Amino acid sequence: MNKRILFLATTFFMLGGCVTGYTLVEPGQHSIDTMTVNASSGWNLAPGYAAPGTRKNAQVWTQDGLLLDRLVFVPAVPDGEPILLSNAKDAALPVFHKSMLPNEIEELVESTIVKFFGEGQAAVSTSKLRPHRFGDHRGVMFDISAEVTESPTYNGIVGAFIANDELYIMWYFGAEPYYYDKHLADAEAIISSATLAALN
Amino acid sequence: MLLCGSPALAEKEPLDHKIPPGYVPEEARDEQGLWMEFEEMERTLNKSALLVRDADINNYITEIVCRVAAAYCNDFRVYVIRNPGFNASMTATGMMQIWTGLIIRANSTDEIAAVVGHEIAHYTRLHSLQRLRDMKKKLAAGSVFDLAVILATGYSTPLGQMTAMMSVLSFSREQETEADLLGTRILAEASYNPHASYKVWQRIIAEEEAAAVKRRKPSAFSQTHPATQQRASYLESLVVSTYGEDDAESVADEKLLAILNNHYLFLMEDQLDTNRFGRTKELLERHREIGVEPSLVYYFYGEMFRQRNEEGDMQLAMDSYLHSIEAGAPPPDAFKSLGYLHLKSGDNTAAQIQFRKYLEIDPTADDRAMIEFYLEE
Repeated sequence: MNKRILFLATTFFMLGGCVTGYTLVEPGQHSIDTMTVNASSGWNLAPGYAAPGTRKNAQVWTQDGLLLDRLVFVPAVPDGEPILLSNAKDAALPVFHKSMLPNEIEELVESTIVKFFGEGQAAVSTSKLRPHRFGDHRGVMFDISAEVTESPTYNGIVGAFIANDELYIMWYFGAEPYYYDKHLADAEAIISSATLAALN
Repeated sequence: MLLCGSPALAEKEPLDHKIPPGYVPEEARDEQGLWMEFEEMERTLNKSALLVRDADINNYITEIVCRVAAAYCNDFRVYVIRNPGFNASMTATGMMQIWTGLIIRANSTDEIAAVVGHEIAHYTRLHSLQRLRDMKKKLAAGSVFDLAVILATGYSTPLGQMTAMMSVLSFSREQETEADLLGTRILAEASYNPHASYKVWQRIIAEEEAAAVKRRKPSAFSQTHPATQQRASYLESLVVSTYGEDDAESVADEKLLAILNNHYLFLMEDQLDTNRFGRTKELLERHREIGVEPSLVYYFYGEMFRQRNEEGDMQLAMDSYLHSIEAGAPPPDAFKSLGYLHLKSGDNTAAQIQFRKYLEIDPTADDRAMIEFYLEE
């Protein structure tokens, strides 16, 4: 009997954790760890359990649901660590190095997104690597596309900069057709607006 | 033909096809149901973004399939899937999938044909149907066992069903051995080199040994198959005893080389994106040996060393890009990557020289804005 009570209590508390669902992200300025972004429209902040693999201080926003669009913010990735996390010891996740140049950031993201969808489950390509200033920091933006097995194709954009030897990276993915275009302008404006809060 | 003349194999290997060409199930309802499932799967596959639609690659693979399949050729629809892993599969309906990872791992067309022969043998031996029936029987028995456990102890456990699943897997390994044996026979009958049937596994072993990060689970193709080493050994014994030692002259496989040379960039970029540098290096070694365009192979050596970023790798990468350029037909990105390496080492002048060459060769490069940023600095 005692075991049953313990089981029910544990289940209750676990489910209690799950009911923390999506929360509204109001238009305006938002701090994500040490990074600040400006949103001109409202988004929904996904709970951690809905976006497994994201780092503790990362946030995932969406408009129409994570399968259709997602805006991901990963602040302050330390030197030698991956952008996403995995429990699998053989995942061979690519890691960030503080000396990375723009082309290497592009490759890091490409390989990371392959791992995100599952190795062999997606062909990911990047294009239009271009310079972009994030506040006081030189950074880059580029386009990304993921052709995924048994899933829509996702197109997106990525913004990234290195500050204090840490990587600040954001990306937007939208499903083709329709959803990518629907939120692109909004998402691009938010990514472009990113700055390091402590220095601004 | 070679097989019929071999008493040794005739004794050891009585296997033959179970169904005639053009087979369609007419009576068994479970088999008809299985076909409907696979037909639905094929409709989905037809829409996959990862389907390789390039005519060269599809014609190359389809030609191999038809040659090995002989009278069964029209039973198969071949789908080449963009996936850098090592795999091929076949359904009861004749839907064959070949992953691009098989193409980059083969040293010859014969090795691709060996895998194709194995898959065709699964089809003609009705292995999917056997598995379905075996699984149904064992799961039913497992459920009875689980029910007995619940009645006796009051606890619910899926132990019986789990055991049933394990035994289905084990049975499947027997089927894999059958497919190996019949596959090797039809490979030889199609006048491909039967020695390819074990060489393809020897290469998988070599790749696993070269891997920096070992996979905890074997690849999709290997996990239901006999242990790779064991399989390579028994196939080698079988082939040598039946067909004699491999005395085939080592000549360039022009068809495979044409496919690799024409599509190397996307094939190897997918491999590079796996971030598995030991494996990629092993593949590059093989491609260099079999005669893939050196400019392409050395370009990817450069990419692999640069991305691996271990001690000494920057110099190895730089040397590789220079080799690629000296070989005469480098991709434009070889100049760009070399430029970035110079930039990293602090030699901005050398970097700008390479960046200018890159833009000269590829004036419409989609990262022109980034390169011009560095040229203006």
